Amino acid sequence: MTNPIYTIIRRLRSPLIVLIVVNAISVLGFVLIPGVDDQGKPWSMTFFHAFYFVSYMGTTIGFGEIPYAFTNAQRYWALVTMYATVVAWLYGIGMLLSVFQDKIFLNQLKKNTFSRKIKNIREPFFIICGYGDTGVQLTRLLSEEGILSIVIDTSEESIHDLQSDDFKVSPIGLCDDASQSEVLEMAGICNPYCEGIISIVNDDTVNLTVAIVTQLLNPKLRLIARAETPEAEANILSFGANEVINPFEIFASRMALAMQSPGLYSIYDWTTGATGEKIKEPPTLLPGIWIICEFGRFGRALYESLENKNVTLRYIEDDRTHSDLPSGSVIGRATEAPSLVKAGIVDAVGIIAGTRNDANNLSIILTATELNPHLFRVVRQNKDKNSHLFNSASYEMLMQRGSIISNTIFAFIRTPMLGDFLRIVSRFNDDKANELVSRIVGVIEDDEAQIWEFKVNAKESPALFKKLKSSHLLVSDILKCHSDVNLGAYCSNKRLSAMPLFMKRNNGNVLLPEDDRDILIDDRVLMCGSKNAYLQMQQILNYEEVLEQVLTGKDMPSSSFGRWFKRINN
Amino acid sequence: MNSEKVIFAFFIVLALTLNYGFYLGDITDPGQHNIYELFAALVVSLISTVLKVGDRTHIGSVFLATSLVADLQLIAAAVVWGITVNVLSEPLTGASLATVVSLAGGALLANVISVILLVAETVSLRR
Repeated sequence: MTNPIYTIIRRLRSPLIVLIVVNAISVLGFVLIPGVDDQGKPWSMTFFHAFYFVSYMGTTIGFGEIPYAFTNAQRYWALVTMYATVVAWLYGIGMLLSVFQDKIFLNQLKKNTFSRKIKNIREPFFIICGYGDTGVQLTRLLSEEGILSIVIDTSEESIHDLQSDDFKVSPIGLCDDASQSEVLEMAGICNPYCEGIISIVNDDTVNLTVAIVTQLLNPKLRLIARAETPEAEANILSFGANEVINPFEIFASRMALAMQSPGLYSIYDWTTGATGEKIKEPPTLLPGIWIICEFGRFGRALYESLENKNVTLRYIEDDRTHSDLPSGSVIGRATEAPSLVKAGIVDAVGIIAGTRNDANNLSIILTATELNPHLFRVVRQNKDKNSHLFNSASYEMLMQRGSIISNTIFAFIRTPMLGDFLRIVSRFNDDKANELVSRIVGVIEDDEAQIWEFKVNAKESPALFKKLKSSHLLVSDILKCHSDVNLGAYCSNKRLSAMPLFMKRNNGNVLLPEDDRDILIDDRVLMCGSKNAYLQMQQILNYEEVLEQVLTGKDMPSSSFGRWFKRINN
Repeated sequence: MNSEKVIFAFFIVLALTLNYGFYLGDITDPGQHNIYELFAALVVSLISTVLKVGDRTHIGSVFLATSLVADLQLIAAAVVWGITVNVLSEPLTGASLATVVSLAGGALLANVISVILLVAETVSLRR
């Protein structure tokens, strides 16, 4: 890292030399040229007097002719040196100012500050490459949870927005190219506090490059990348243990789920959706003719997921040159009524307006509604800033490209076990899935649902850990509600409104552990429940006296002195 | 003929020679130490310091260090001279002259090291 002082002085070399030489010649001149004192006797300036005079002449302060009035010879010399020294000073100051305004210099300063800040971080953080719609939402989600993020983006405007936005935990921003390994190194990819790197740039090749660099620099680091083409997705998945989010694929497979297995759809949607949402009824997607308004990446992903179910897909595509358009596709603009009619909108059950342009999507929906008021309308929203437009439109299902990615990533970050759970659940048949959904709804009832996980160890659940060393506990034991008067309303059956979904241990994992299952040290448990249940469980896991009260109903003093006192009294 | 190297070497050697010239002579005799030479030595030393700044190599940093030391000593010598003559209004003899000349002697050593480094660098380049 170049010391900025050295950069400044290097640029100032020539002005400094000019200044020194001009000053030296002026001082010498004043010493040599004889003057007179106030009685007319000859008197020479010493170096000291000469230097003093030249100093305040050159800096344009100009006190006057000291200590005696000048002779004309001296004045001639003063005339010459006046212009020379002032110009030399101005040259020097001008160069100094231009150095400070120099973009390269300022960039260097910014990089130095950035790098120093990162080195001093002592808390877990995530690196996010890309600050578009998805990046903004993800940073906000992480910040609300109190997690620090470091954001890299090539656009200065985005970083500027980042710095002027209000966040609970201020993220650190850097305007640079994330695909360069020095930039990633500077951002702390090898820092032990780095919990993961998330690459959500608009360009798949950049995401791929980031994945490769991460694999080379820090192979153990968790990488979550966005890929919008299946090739990029396969590529990134082929090395390391990376997770790839393909928003179109996610949405398309969800739609397939919604048609085929609404129970599973509910589980997926709720666990990876926005936090704090209630678990929803799945939408009823009817079999029949569905009109899809583009055959780009989204359209193709739908084709892969929905083909062969009992739905007929009709595509409307503007671009004739698109190869492998499925048969029955209509060439034309979906925003115009004739194309929609040609595709059979009058008999269709649903329409998916999935183009890359938000205005077109809304126009398609409006036109379609006029032609067939009973359509199930699915619309894709590309840009977050058009949200208020979409809020006023009416549709049955909304696909927000940015939100899907950021919510899914956030869910995976907060609860890493979620991936495993969802993989297992995806193999359920519809009945089993529905049963699970009703169980969850039964437990949580009408409250805000939350998913969390904890590990039974000294760091995350100290009270439980300590208790397990001396006694034996079951799952039902930690789900008991402590009879705190203030929280009485949530203890209807003396049981927390929460249930364990998945338990991971070294010798076998347990799905939906039963009440009489043991809890052992080093278990990792994925729980779902209401927000209050989450808060209460945190208390049970961390505070010994709360755990004791829950287990035995007896009150234990909070301080260690109190406990000791009680012990010796028994 | 590399003009940049010529100028660089010129100023370093000139700084040493002027410095030595000032230092030479009886330490108690003010007639043997010319104030113009001290002035010239100081100016050339400052110029050579500016020329040495910005070199990121190891030898460059040591060059810069020696130059800064020489500057410091010569400035101190000039200040002592100036204060003695102008502020205290004493003639420059005895203790004060000795101070000035010994400070210049210190600067001389720094300049010698600087020139040795220059020679070493030149020899190692072998061209």
